[in-house]
Amino acid sequence: MSWRLKLKIHRWRPGDRAPHYDLFEVEVPEDAYVLDAIEKVWAEQDRSLAFRHACHHASCGSCGLRINGREKLPCITPVTDYRQGSTVQVDPLRHFPLVRDLVVDMGPLARAMDEVRFSIIRQASEEVPASLPPEPPLLPDETHEATRFENCLECGLCVSACPVAGSSVRYLGPAALAAAERMLAEPRGVDPAAVWAAIDHDDGLWRCHGAFECSAACPSEVDPAAAIMRLRRYGARVAEAARGRRR
Amino acid sequence: MTMSERRARSKGGQAFWWQVISGVLLVVLATIHMVANHFVVPGGLRTYADVVSYIGTPAIFVLETLFLVVVTSHALLGVRAIILDLSPSDRAARRLDRFLVLLGLAAIVYATTLMIRVGW
Amino acid sequence: MTAVQESGQARIGRERRPRRVDRWFDPRGLAPGQLAFVLHRITGLGLVFYLFLHLGVLSLLARGPEAWDRFIAVAKTSPVLALDVVLIFGLLFHGLNGLRLTLVSLNLGVRKQAALFWGATVLAAAGTAVAGWMIFRMGG
Repeated sequence: MSWRLKLKIHRWRPGDRAPHYDLFEVEVPEDAYVLDAIEKVWAEQDRSLAFRHACHHASCGSCGLRINGREKLPCITPVTDYRQGSTVQVDPLRHFPLVRDLVVDMGPLARAMDEVRFSIIRQASEEVPASLPPEPPLLPDETHEATRFENCLECGLCVSACPVAGSSVRYLGPAALAAAERMLAEPRGVDPAAVWAAIDHDDGLWRCHGAFECSAACPSEVDPAAAIMRLRRYGARVAEAARGRRR
Repeated sequence: MTMSERRARSKGGQAFWWQVISGVLLVVLATIHMVANHFVVPGGLRTYADVVSYIGTPAIFVLETLFLVVVTSHALLGVRAIILDLSPSDRAARRLDRFLVLLGLAAIVYATTLMIRVGW
Repeated sequence: MTAVQESGQARIGRERRPRRVDRWFDPRGLAPGQLAFVLHRITGLGLVFYLFLHLGVLSLLARGPEAWDRFIAVAKTSPVLALDVVLIFGLLFHGLNGLRLTLVSLNLGVRKQAALFWGATVLAAAGTAVAGWMIFRMGG
């Protein structure tokens, strides 16, 4: 069975005075996702439509959009979430510079992640050991110790959902703060004091007003709001540790 | 001074926790204030004579002064938080802090003076 | 390890972005977190306004009994009593939601934050109804 939707898509290109919406009628299989519908619009109706997509299974975070005003990854949003024949409004993420149509500049998020030291640190080639390190020990059931990867896709949905990120232009944002909490929980060679200094200010941890919209929008169980609440209590431990060092 | 150095000297955490503490205190103080002034008085509002006798009681004067200080602090910390949501420059933020401290002190001094003048 | 040095242009561009205050009041489909934020902000601003209005009105006490008692007569009229009921809701909601924010900031009840918001709203509404009945019964 197929599914018909009317996609009301935000359009803007550099030089336009104001954005406008184009309406596209599209029919896709019932088990398709909203991203499939957008791709079909691009393929069959308007090749000038700009949008991001990559993995199509919620592991790259590229395709983040607002669908009917709420942040979603369209690659995992079934078309059947919207009534047959209904009009679905598709907008770019908020709080990022708009590049074109549905594409935003994710640079501010990358810079915020760098600021809290949440980067992959590339080692110089001469530091690579001549031989591989020993295999990690086997667990009793003969599997190797599990390595926890990060949940965060850096998709930016949380930043878009945050009510203060629009006015508080210097706010680090929920993604970076959640990343900082991970760095403090598991430093990986980073100086925790430096991470704390990067977030303990009026444009960092203390700008959050507890709206929890970031966690509501997160498609990957990062729960940035809970991370920020944990961070608020971290300060007491940092202060106590500093007092201990001064004695 | 770099932006990160300026940020490191900000008062964000202190302001937040004072907001929390004053808020919790206000739950008690505001309840006492509302009940004492509006829900145990016949007609719900104190006449001039009622106000004079109320504020002239030492324990009440201390309680209302404490309420005044706590509510003014909490209100102005809240205003500060909202204005900081607009990402003012560091200079504007320092001026804001100075202005709010002066406004708060002025409000507290004015209202305390009024209470002394009326009740004592 | 060095922090990324943000380009001057990028930083200036960020500082010049318009401040989207409208986003504070965007209902976002009545999402509980956003509703809590909006209501807390509106009641907070309303209470700040009321605080300074109240302090200003209290100056009538310095003018003596006639001035104050004249004001009290106006304060007992229905429109003013109705505004008092709105004030009571603002106080109750802001206080109860504030307690919710205090709890979650202490990492307590974070998983239940939406339920805490609805609970605070219902309690504030119930308290307002009771207070409203008392206000009009006593003062009307």
